[in-house]
Amino acid sequence: MRADPERRARLLQMAAGAGFLALAIVLVLIVVNASSGGSGGDTKLEGVVEVDRLLEGIPQQQLVLGETEAPVELFEYGDLQCPVCKGYAEEILPPIIEGMVRQGKVKLAFRNLTIIGEESVAAGAAVLAAGEQGRGWNYLELFYRNQGQENSGYVDDQFLEAIAKRAGVENLAEWNRDRRALIPQVEADTEEARRLGYDATPSFAINTIKGFESIGTPQTTGALEDAISEAAARAAP
Amino acid sequence: MNLPDEGILRRLIAFFAALGIGIAAYIAIAEAGGDAPACIVGSGGCKTVAESSYSHLAGVNIAVFGVVGYALLLASSFFANDAARFGGFLISLSGFGYSVFLTYLEIFKIEAICQWCVGSAIVMTILLLLNATRLIGYAGEEEGLSRAG
Repeated sequence: MRADPERRARLLQMAAGAGFLALAIVLVLIVVNASSGGSGGDTKLEGVVEVDRLLEGIPQQQLVLGETEAPVELFEYGDLQCPVCKGYAEEILPPIIEGMVRQGKVKLAFRNLTIIGEESVAAGAAVLAAGEQGRGWNYLELFYRNQGQENSGYVDDQFLEAIAKRAGVENLAEWNRDRRALIPQVEADTEEARRLGYDATPSFAINTIKGFESIGTPQTTGALEDAISEAAARAAP
Repeated sequence: MNLPDEGILRRLIAFFAALGIGIAAYIAIAEAGGDAPACIVGSGGCKTVAESSYSHLAGVNIAVFGVVGYALLLASSFFANDAARFGGFLISLSGFGYSVFLTYLEIFKIEAICQWCVGSAIVMTILLLLNATRLIGYAGEEEGLSRAG
């Protein structure tokens, strides 16, 4: 028995419209997704072997690289989108990591100072989450070696996950949960860095038993090494 | 065309919606506990899919949306009116569309197949067919004219 043919016709018309709309939405989603490139695991990354070799055998705790007993701690305040930081990661810091860090004279600590944009915050949280699994510096170094144009949208889930996989983050589900939860930590670290007077990246500071000292942005490996050596000498008993 | 009685369709919708709730709840609970759903034949597809960024939408595991969708479909089977018929159709249509998209992601993006996700996609497809049949067969009928499930 049909109680209301008009209502029935209207409902069926609406259902047909919804069907076409659903089909169109699914097609658009697939086309947009297909044009965004391969899966995270397929994203071509530079410097994987180089980073593995650089950091191999050096202990890491969260975002601190080096022996915990090292007498000097070198802080780097950086933004993962910052091209100058990329230059430091590729040119200035590797000799220090291979030398003073590996020898246990200094430990390197990365702190987020996100000044470029929202994508910096997402990247900062991703590196913190990798640090939770002892792969923070692998993530940081690999990110810098694959850095894209600032705020161009390249820092998406796919890119971040590709870095995580190649940086050796073992539990990706946990890393995904952590990076979402650690966004406030990135903002708090940035706030803290600003409170200390930092407003440019990269900025460096040295911490010893004698205290915390800002050293600005030394332009060469040699200048950084000198600053570390002087701080170590001052801290010596 | 001789369509099944609406009462039978509603019972079938209730059955498959309950099955869908079970599947989606298992995926959500396994993931919340820090594990991936266990793949029945032992492949690593479920772990790969669960660990991919596509497993979450706005920070929420998509299985949770699945539980909600199936629960609404179950609720729609309790009523014999146009709101339930049309609502059930829309929810199952959305679920089916999203299942198609997720299956595409599994095959072409994640490059891993999770049997639980495939199971959910099959259940949602059946639910769409049942809800479409119900809507086509009984749209416009007044509440209570068809036999209750």
